[in-house]
Amino acid sequence: MRDVVIIGGGHNGLVAAAFLAKAGLRPLVLERAERIGGCAITSEIVPGFRCPTLAHRAAIDRAVIRALDLERHGLEVVRPAARVCAPTSDGRALTLWADTARAAREISAFSPRDAARYPGFLSSVAAVSGVLRALTATLPPSIDHLSAADLVECLRVARKFRALGKADAYRLLRWLPMPSADFTREWFESEPLCATIAAGGTLGSFLGPRSGGSTAVLLWLAAGEGHPIAPGWTARGGIGAVSEALASAARQAGAEIRVGAEVRQIVVQEGAATGVVLATGEHVTARRVVSNADPRRTLLGLVDPVHLASGFVRGTQNIRMRGSLAKINYAVSSLPRFAGVGASDRHEREAALSGWVRLCPDMDAMERAFDAAKYGGYSHDPWIELAIPTILDPGLAPAGQHVVSAYVQFAPYSLRGTTWDREREQLAEVATGTIARYAPGFEQSVVARQIITPMDLERTYGLTGGQIFHGELALDQLLSARPLPGWARYVTPIRNLFLCGAGAHPGTGLDGRAGVLAARQVIKAARK
Amino acid sequence: MTIVDYSRRRVRYNAIIIGGGHNGLTAGAYLARAGRKVLVLERRPVLGGAAVTEEVFPGFRFSVCSYVVSLLRPELIRELDLPRHGLEILPLDGTFTPVAEGPYLWRVDDHAKTRREIARHSLLDAEAYDEFGKAMVKMARFVKPFLNMTPPDPLTRDPRELMKFALIATRFRALSDEDRRHQLQLMTMSAADFLDQWFETDVLKATLSASGIIGTSLGVRSPGTAYVLLHHYIGEIDGSFRSWGLARGGTGAISTAIAEAAREAGAEIRTDAPVDGIRIKHGRAIGVALATGDELDADVVLSSVDPRLTFLKFVGARELPSEFVDEVRRYRFRGSSGKVNLALDGLPDFSCLPGRGTHLRGAISISPSVDYMERAYDQAKYGEFSRRPYIDMVIPTLTDPSVAPPGKHILSCFVQYAPYALARGTWDEQREAFGDTVVDTLAEYAPNIRTIVLHRQVLTPLDLEREFGLTEGNIFHGELTLDQLFFLRPVPGWARYSTPIRNLWMCGSATHPGGGIMGAPGRNAARRILGQAR
Repeated sequence: MRDVVIIGGGHNGLVAAAFLAKAGLRPLVLERAERIGGCAITSEIVPGFRCPTLAHRAAIDRAVIRALDLERHGLEVVRPAARVCAPTSDGRALTLWADTARAAREISAFSPRDAARYPGFLSSVAAVSGVLRALTATLPPSIDHLSAADLVECLRVARKFRALGKADAYRLLRWLPMPSADFTREWFESEPLCATIAAGGTLGSFLGPRSGGSTAVLLWLAAGEGHPIAPGWTARGGIGAVSEALASAARQAGAEIRVGAEVRQIVVQEGAATGVVLATGEHVTARRVVSNADPRRTLLGLVDPVHLASGFVRGTQNIRMRGSLAKINYAVSSLPRFAGVGASDRHEREAALSGWVRLCPDMDAMERAFDAAKYGGYSHDPWIELAIPTILDPGLAPAGQHVVSAYVQFAPYSLRGTTWDREREQLAEVATGTIARYAPGFEQSVVARQIITPMDLERTYGLTGGQIFHGELALDQLLSARPLPGWARYVTPIRNLFLCGAGAHPGTGLDGRAGVLAARQVIKAARK
Repeated sequence: MTIVDYSRRRVRYNAIIIGGGHNGLTAGAYLARAGRKVLVLERRPVLGGAAVTEEVFPGFRFSVCSYVVSLLRPELIRELDLPRHGLEILPLDGTFTPVAEGPYLWRVDDHAKTRREIARHSLLDAEAYDEFGKAMVKMARFVKPFLNMTPPDPLTRDPRELMKFALIATRFRALSDEDRRHQLQLMTMSAADFLDQWFETDVLKATLSASGIIGTSLGVRSPGTAYVLLHHYIGEIDGSFRSWGLARGGTGAISTAIAEAAREAGAEIRTDAPVDGIRIKHGRAIGVALATGDELDADVVLSSVDPRLTFLKFVGARELPSEFVDEVRRYRFRGSSGKVNLALDGLPDFSCLPGRGTHLRGAISISPSVDYMERAYDQAKYGEFSRRPYIDMVIPTLTDPSVAPPGKHILSCFVQYAPYALARGTWDEQREAFGDTVVDTLAEYAPNIRTIVLHRQVLTPLDLEREFGLTEGNIFHGELTLDQLFFLRPVPGWARYSTPIRNLWMCGSATHPGGGIMGAPGRNAARRILGQAR
């Protein structure tokens, strides 16, 4: 009998495993795929070209990096000099450098007024992020049984909120339900700047920049770093290195990790989880089962719903998980040449493209791309975020060649009147054409491409509905309501079954916070 | 030669109220009843603001803007004794949603009938409809007490204010798990997503979702639109017959009744009295200046017009802290609707349900599918009016024949989306095209409409602004979105009816709890000024 079985070797599963092992429990991680990593993996597109298969940004919590000593386990965080480079439709480019003053100088070419406001914008977001970060780093308060500890935690957050001062405190309240288009317009006038920032509220969500609540997504994802524009970093050796480091830390602490071990079912006896059955028929018994799979897959797929109350089943069915993102990975023979990006200077060009490239110069176009998705079509003028990891990590491709990782939005999981299997190639054509519009010659440079539709995200990578956050980051699906009101503390109605993935609080991308908080709850339960 | 000292003759009022709309009149009535010397100033020749009846064409008395009563606070009706002052609300039964192809939907107050009707579309939905109604009434009960509350300030340190938050938290905790989930969802979800959880019938979802978008520049699929659904049910729990209907004599009768109550209590009300500015001395409001040049003195000034007019036009940015001015400028209006009033020679004959049955007596909603609603919004987003808009209409003459000549009818159409800011052209150029669109849309469901229209009044968002002082044509004095509600309305930190100018108060729809003919802002503000509410 195992102490703990963890279903899924994604980053949250590995983080949970590492913390459980450090606490003296001996977790077994069961990963369906042939290697660990979930959404944080690097794989070969064609021989010689290695690319982040899914996520191309990570943001593992600093506290986790420290506590697990991930640097010793091989993690080297790389923070590019430019956060975002945004080519515009008129052949210019807006590069938002990590260095605020330098970014402001770039912005002044578009609008001196915006340039002057940019530092204030960043500091205001950084301030409100402090409060949001406090919320993401603790257990959401239980509404029914508000314990003394909860109250203390609530008061701590309330104090932080008050400490913001009037202007920022009200901003935080006002911003969350707003459309990200209105949010950016409050600060800036330049279209490319507004669009580039507002885009962050729609990435991976079934929201356009004019949808209410897109600012909440933007700020929630930005909370960790306190920076609203493309938060996150990349790792030396590719994003998969994050998972490798986590796995190494977990193993060293005493966790066992098995790959190619697909869990078919969670065994429930008398209302309690007692183990899992693998696809091979093998039965693994355990005192506790922790699932890194999304809540719907866990509770409606792996658990037999007869063990659950009908209200809970309905609630789980109603968790909104509408994927809107496709991923296309390119192997290219040369660095894409975006008009307006460092025309004369190679170093300058590479520096500008070292972070993320957002092809979304205007909000109306982005909104129109979303319109297509609303009616079950994919956009023929999508907005795309690119990463070119080979700029900082040339070893990922043969000398002088590159890989380009593209998030393509909007590509809804549910298509009307057709299927993703039929549309796959067409989607890639659209994406390639769009990139080529900003980077002439891109089409000719493509050596190979890998297309991952929202349907593939579900089938191959286990993301129900193709939803990359394991459940939309909507205000009614956050905090005490994530994944469901009353079940936000990593426990489920099945005793000894826990959730540790992004579908649980806080759900903020590749940061490992859910894994840490879940592990804490499991340890607490184990010590009772 | 004798010198007349005019200043000695000047009357000093305790309170001057700018704007004779229903909220201004309500505040006036409450203040007068408390013994204050009150003057209400209305720019137009008629009282009522957007709650007004006007004889636009001979014999046809239109409820020009607002056309149904749903939310008028029952305590206000009671306290001001409005029925004695001539208010009579006639029940409006049901909502008919014609569909061009496929079965129509007709919901009425008769429970069993509605159930049978929905069962024609879906048995599951007929079941769910009951559950839905019950859940919404529970949610509305939860929200209702907050309507009469002066919003507490989240940054306050005043324990009495903090108690209000404790009260809200306690009420929330007292809800069942499921009700809490619903409440949370109503506050944040999109109307379409919220309804998707309950129903499968497209036309039912579409017509229910419509109430979520009225007066906002959001689509039914945009998060934040579910909240307004709730307002629909707040009226319901006050007793469907008293609070959802038409005022006899048109919507203006409501304003007239409130004005009568105010006058009876001693308030003075002047029409044709446009205000030019609010007089300020040493940071305090001391009265108003009229467009005629006259100056009036008052201990307090109340403005029932929106914050942009109040602060940027009547007060002036120079008198105010710059952060406050920024917040006022930022407050979003973005009118999204127009009004088309038709004088008819007969009744519209709907192809899907011909004849002049009782389905014509309630609301008629052109909202055949969720996609239809959303596409209507799509055009507005990019600065065009919807080619096929959402239309909500009533034929008041079937309930109250007094408003039109015998045998003639009025069709009052609320039309959305009509964005205030057009991408091309001006509203003055587009007005008739907009009117044509409405008639064309109606003709798809009731082809005889073209032949029975005698007169047509088209009000674009620009007309609403010019004629009725609704900035950017927003019928609620500012969008009813979560970031502009409760303690954030209209400006964070200034949601308690007071303003940075001492003795200047706000009492219009731009204050909590917002627009619609509710009267709550006027009543709440008056009670605050009188020290009857905190």
